[in-house]
Amino acid sequence: MATAGARSAPSQTPPPTSAIRQTPAGPAPGRAEPPPWQLQRDSGRMRSSLAPLGVPVSRDRDDVSVCLSGSWYTPEACLQLKDHFHGQVSAACQRRNTGTVGLRLSKVVVVGDLYVGKTSLIHRFCKNAFDRDYKATIGVDFEIERFEIAGVPYSLQIWDTAGQEKFKCIASAYYRGAQVIITAFDLSDAQTLAHTRQWLADALRENAATSCFIFLVGTKKDLLSGAACEQAEAEAVHLANEMQAEYWSVSAKTGENVKAFFSRVAALSFEHSVLQDLERRSSAQLQVGDGDLVRMKGSSPESQEGRGLSSLGCC
Amino acid sequence: TGTKMANVDAPQKLSGMPPLSEGVGGGRCSEISTELIRSLTELQELEAVYERLCGEEKMVEKELDALLEQQTTIENKMVTLHRMGPNLQLIEGDAKQLAGMITFTCNLAENVSSKVRQLDLAKNRLYQAIQRADDILDLKFCMDGVQTALRNEDYEQAAAHIHRYLCLDKSVIELSRQGKEGSMIDANLKLLQEAEQRLKSIVAEKFAIATKEGDLPQVERFFKIFPLLGLHEEGLSKFSEYLCKQVASKAEENLLLVLETDMSDRRAAVIFADTLTLLFEGIARIVETHQPIVETYYGPGKLYTLIKYLQVECDRQVEKVVDKFIRQREYHQQFRHVQSNLMRNSTTEKIEPRELDPILTEVTLMNARSELYLRFLRKRISSDFEVGDSMASEEVKQEHQKCLDKLLNNCLLSCTMQELIGFYITMEEYFMRESVNKAVALDTCEKGQLTSSMVDDVFYIVKKCIGRALSSSSIDCLCAMINLATTELESDFRDVLCNKLRMGFPATTLQDIQRGVTSAVNIMHSSLQQGKFDTKGIESTDEAKLSFLVTLNNVEVCSENISTLKKTLECDCTKLFSQGIGGEQAQAKFDSCLSDLVAVSNKFRDLLQEGLTELNSTAVKPQVQPWINTFLSVSHNIEEEEFNDYEANDPWVQQFILNLEQLMAEFKASLSPVIYDSLTGLMTNLVAVELERVVLKSTFNRLGGLQFDKELRSLIAYLTTVTTWTIRDKFARLSQMATILNLERVTEILDYWGANSGPLTWRLTPAEVRQVLALRMDFRSEDIKRLRL
Repeated sequence: MATAGARSAPSQTPPPTSAIRQTPAGPAPGRAEPPPWQLQRDSGRMRSSLAPLGVPVSRDRDDVSVCLSGSWYTPEACLQLKDHFHGQVSAACQRRNTGTVGLRLSKVVVVGDLYVGKTSLIHRFCKNAFDRDYKATIGVDFEIERFEIAGVPYSLQIWDTAGQEKFKCIASAYYRGAQVIITAFDLSDAQTLAHTRQWLADALRENAATSCFIFLVGTKKDLLSGAACEQAEAEAVHLANEMQAEYWSVSAKTGENVKAFFSRVAALSFEHSVLQDLERRSSAQLQVGDGDLVRMKGSSPESQEGRGLSSLGCC
Repeated sequence: TGTKMANVDAPQKLSGMPPLSEGVGGGRCSEISTELIRSLTELQELEAVYERLCGEEKMVEKELDALLEQQTTIENKMVTLHRMGPNLQLIEGDAKQLAGMITFTCNLAENVSSKVRQLDLAKNRLYQAIQRADDILDLKFCMDGVQTALRNEDYEQAAAHIHRYLCLDKSVIELSRQGKEGSMIDANLKLLQEAEQRLKSIVAEKFAIATKEGDLPQVERFFKIFPLLGLHEEGLSKFSEYLCKQVASKAEENLLLVLETDMSDRRAAVIFADTLTLLFEGIARIVETHQPIVETYYGPGKLYTLIKYLQVECDRQVEKVVDKFIRQREYHQQFRHVQSNLMRNSTTEKIEPRELDPILTEVTLMNARSELYLRFLRKRISSDFEVGDSMASEEVKQEHQKCLDKLLNNCLLSCTMQELIGFYITMEEYFMRESVNKAVALDTCEKGQLTSSMVDDVFYIVKKCIGRALSSSSIDCLCAMINLATTELESDFRDVLCNKLRMGFPATTLQDIQRGVTSAVNIMHSSLQQGKFDTKGIESTDEAKLSFLVTLNNVEVCSENISTLKKTLECDCTKLFSQGIGGEQAQAKFDSCLSDLVAVSNKFRDLLQEGLTELNSTAVKPQVQPWINTFLSVSHNIEEEEFNDYEANDPWVQQFILNLEQLMAEFKASLSPVIYDSLTGLMTNLVAVELERVVLKSTFNRLGGLQFDKELRSLIAYLTTVTTWTIRDKFARLSQMATILNLERVTEILDYWGANSGPLTWRLTPAEVRQVLALRMDFRSEDIKRLRL
């Protein structure tokens, strides 16, 4: 948990004790309820329902300040325990000052062994459907899911990769530039959990570990009884901590936790995205500022280490 | 508190009550209860209630008056009603009579129609009897006909009879057997069934012989008979068996030809792609040729079945061809070799990327052919389904679509090709990476060129690799390659340029300044004699400088090339998408990958900015600063005589302009116009800032201010000629300072300030205005202090 806290969003306040106190009562079925912050999916058929969401600004204030707590699956393996969105983020949302976030997408890559149910998980979320017939993914599948978080439109771009070894070459070409890596495994198959380590390593080869959120997701929860499930989850949580990942158990068949999980993914990447954007804009403002050349170089934080063009290599 | 309640409640109750309509008000009583009145103690309240009660009383009186007025009218109406009494009795009698008549008529009609109904029933039975007689006759006719036709070997006729028999209602046959001629019909039926069985076996046998002999007309003849006997599935399966054999023998022939192909043959490099093409074309031709027969004799929707059988053979043949391809081209070995080469710090000997060229081309060609073939099948099958499903339910349509997807996506051909493409991607990545490394290693800068060879080379390579991936017609493959190219450009290649820029622009020594016009130009000349020079292993400062400038140009061209590449790809792909390649999400996938690529263009642009800033601060600033500092040594506290002397012998600005010109000439020669323009922009900013600094350190009198004004004007005039940026804006503060320094009196500033400023927007704060005014030796500080700004 300590590691998880350390690598969550920058300049984050330590988790308030009140948040820790709220230990969630295990993976109860009731958790599949929509998360507390206003989150509206806007995919195709739902688009028409967007209008009723036109909540007054005062409601918005509630939306962002409503805590993120209870949104993780287990406090033993979660990326952050914070109660709220980062203050700057909430403020920016209220001011409708989230810049280009609405136009940008966060890229999510889903990896894991074949037949663990990556495609089913995504289908359950995006189409709310479950197909019993197994159809191996060939190459990569792709879905865009639109959200509205705290009144700000936001999209997740979900890349569903093939789990078969023979398609790995092509799938791995799609790992780059991911903001979220979801490593999936089959709760009823311990071998698939062991393999997630390798999957994550492959995905991280194309991404900086610090720049993306990692999730470990156990699928097919419906196949396991209580005790077996607890056992499998305990192992997974252990590994998740090692990976510095957030852990979730889901079932695409019953839909349990699927929506809550993706909402969590959206919320974390949204917050991160807004923070990054604010940071970038504040530094850009300094640079464009007044035509004062002397200050220009010093103002960009990267260039302060070392001489001359040392900043060139950082990005 | 009781009174308060009343105060608050009563008026609300009254006003909240809708006024009752007249005539209904009988049951109405006052809103004000007796208790309420009793509870009132204040006079004022009592009066108010009294008044309201009076009002109510008046209203009630009015209502009563209105009711009384109506009395006479109501009485009149009553009289008229009494007179109508006898008439009503008459009417009642008439009505009873009428009812009796209607009942009678009704019964009559009932009787008539029941007879008609009976007639209708009889007619229907008659028709049925005729139909049955017809059927029995048909049956007899069939029995006789089948025998004759079989004897005459007229199988079409026989099949037609059997078909007729099979189409007959089974209940009709059953009924006929129960009739008087039952036994005879039974016998005939038995004969007919025997004939059916015989015909089936004959057709099967004849079909087998025909297929064996490869007698197409006979094969088709019997193929058409199967559906008449209700053997659709069997007919299709047997026919496709025959077709598959043809496909197989042709494919084997072709594969043998491959093995005999001379390596010097023009098509040798793509011989496996050609072989696949022949296979696909063969199957496509078969589909084309036989689709009409299947449609006509088997009905719509059956093409799927035929192709399903054919695809099995196709898969088998593809497997053979691909197997041969993998072995002969050592595809897997090459892949493994590349894979180990791709590992950083691998020790295995590197494959020459050029050697991979042919095999990569061949694989993409193979995939393109398969995609084309699969697209052909999809189009044919779905249009055939469409005809058959025009009346079908949505579920059936979806089921058919699912079958089609399953057939085409899960066939061995699709999987095999996907596997080949997987290996291809890795090898193409290696090809790109190695070629780019080579281009960087062999980087040269021809004389007179602003950029060096590697930029063109690298983009040629990237374009080639993406183009090849595109030629595979697989969107996943294309997008994967775009991603890999993005990574290559963003990290590896950008790092190369970054490292070159990081070496910095060497600080110019005093010697260099004295040498005056452009060391870089000299290098250009010396490189002219050698033809080219190596930008690696920079030893002299001049070369280091040139390398830096060339790299800046390179960075800019990179960013532009990426934008161009994006446009070209977009253009190429609209064609592809218009053919419906890659399914519904193809466009979205492509757009997403392309936007990542474009983002790299911006990264190059950022790099350029950083490089320019570096150049400005290491090459321009250290030179310009001392030149501007010499301004301090020129007195601006001057008399008429000195002013005139300055006119003849310019003390500062002309030399400064000359120096600037010489300094910038070096960059103008070796930077692209766009970058040069940005640099002059930076330089101009620098001059403005530095000049402002020294001016604030100087002192002036009236003539000195005039002198400065002249100097500033010359400088602005010069800078305007060298940049496309607007100079005036950058020098606005300085110009305003010159204006202030030129004033006759302190108070004259008020002619330009505040309400009098006219179109002028002051860039100086009041404090700064005072500061500048204070630079004038001849202005008294009390006057300045007294100013109201």
